[in-house]
Amino acid sequence: MRAGAIFLREARLAFAGGGGPAAPAAFFIASLTLAPLAIGHSPATLQAAGPGVICFAALLAVLQGAERLFGEDVADGTLETYGLSGLPLSVVALAKVLGTALATLWPLPLVGLGGGIAFGLPAEAAGMLALALAAAIPGLAFLVAIAAALSAGARRGGLVIALIAAPLAIPLMVFTASAGRAAGLGDAAASANLLLTCAVSLFVTALAPFAISAALKARLE
Amino acid sequence: MFSYLANPHRFETFARIAIPVCGWLAVALIAAGLWYGLFSSPVDRFQGDTIRIMYVHVPSAWLALALYFAMGVASFVYFIWRHNLADVAAASIAPIGAVFAALCLITGAIWGKPTWGAWWVWDARLTSMLIQFLLFLGYIALRAAIEDERLAARSAAILAMVGLVNLPIVRFSVEWWDGILHQGATVFRADGPEIHGSQLLPLALMAIGFTLLAGWMVLYRMRSAIMAHKAANLQRLREARA
Repeated sequence: MRAGAIFLREARLAFAGGGGPAAPAAFFIASLTLAPLAIGHSPATLQAAGPGVICFAALLAVLQGAERLFGEDVADGTLETYGLSGLPLSVVALAKVLGTALATLWPLPLVGLGGGIAFGLPAEAAGMLALALAAAIPGLAFLVAIAAALSAGARRGGLVIALIAAPLAIPLMVFTASAGRAAGLGDAAASANLLLTCAVSLFVTALAPFAISAALKARLE
Repeated sequence: MFSYLANPHRFETFARIAIPVCGWLAVALIAAGLWYGLFSSPVDRFQGDTIRIMYVHVPSAWLALALYFAMGVASFVYFIWRHNLADVAAASIAPIGAVFAALCLITGAIWGKPTWGAWWVWDARLTSMLIQFLLFLGYIALRAAIEDERLAARSAAILAMVGLVNLPIVRFSVEWWDGILHQGATVFRADGPEIHGSQLLPLALMAIGFTLLAGWMVLYRMRSAIMAHKAANLQRLREARA
């Protein structure tokens, strides 16, 4: 079995099953709708809180599919098959998470763009925020995947995933939201924040497969 | 030293001496530190008596950080060399670290209200300590959620290592996000401590005393965990015979 085949299989499965890309996108939109109802609809509040609320809601949207990511593989024996494939588990993890993330999370930056405009951000700020979200989402997906792999087979796994992933996701939250906020103020720090988002996201993408593979290996023994 | 102590019998011999030594030294140092801190050190020119909260606050902060680091190192040792004792150490450290982080947050809030006029401000150091507390909680929750003991240990070890790698990035990002409100380093500075000797003495006594207290609690918990394990094994043996 080649890594490309795993990537395609996981992408197809994720796209077709359980709502595919519609589920996280709809969840994202729902949380964005609730935010103004909770914090009030004055344009100044929405503009100030917008980038942060949108990032936060994006994290929730990434988290909502996490429990299924490895839970079923551990339960139904797919993990054993992957273990027998001869591929290093880190490559399997990379292919699987990338496949799932690309198939299901691609609408999030677009929803973020729409959300930014709906929250009254200037067009450049909404664009910058969408760009930063696009850069952050692979990193977020891998961080959440670490948490999902570590709690696969646990009781109330979803709760544990959220508790583990939240502190790990802080740097991406900070840089992504700051990019949107700085762009809204016309601050040149926006591009610095965007670059930091890319850096953290790449760092996580490079290292997370090893942590995931260690967690999966412990579940194979 | 790790491989020497990895043998439970040797650990038992070591703990039998180390536990009372750590415990009594901690009591003596904390008593002396409290006396100096509460009665025998001058009030601060600007902060008045609230400065005395520092003698509990700063050692707690130091221990929350040190224990997180120790938990990460113990997890690494367990993950690489599979020394079960290292895992027992990491598991014993987690709740103690969480308590010190909580103590740091609570004393900080009590100090912050009269000094800054707010129980809580979202500055880099406070937020970092809150995150530290959450990291401990995540570790404890993951361990508690997995029934299989060995799997729980392996998963928790991976989480502690991931947390340790991530911690510098989290700290950097939080400092980036913040402007500076909290005072910077005053004790460990290249040009010598910037704190007066009359305050440094109780602070040092309390810091060493708290460290020994933490060591005492960790060793005590470790020995209890090993005993509980042995007892469970004996129980199983007896049931098998019957």
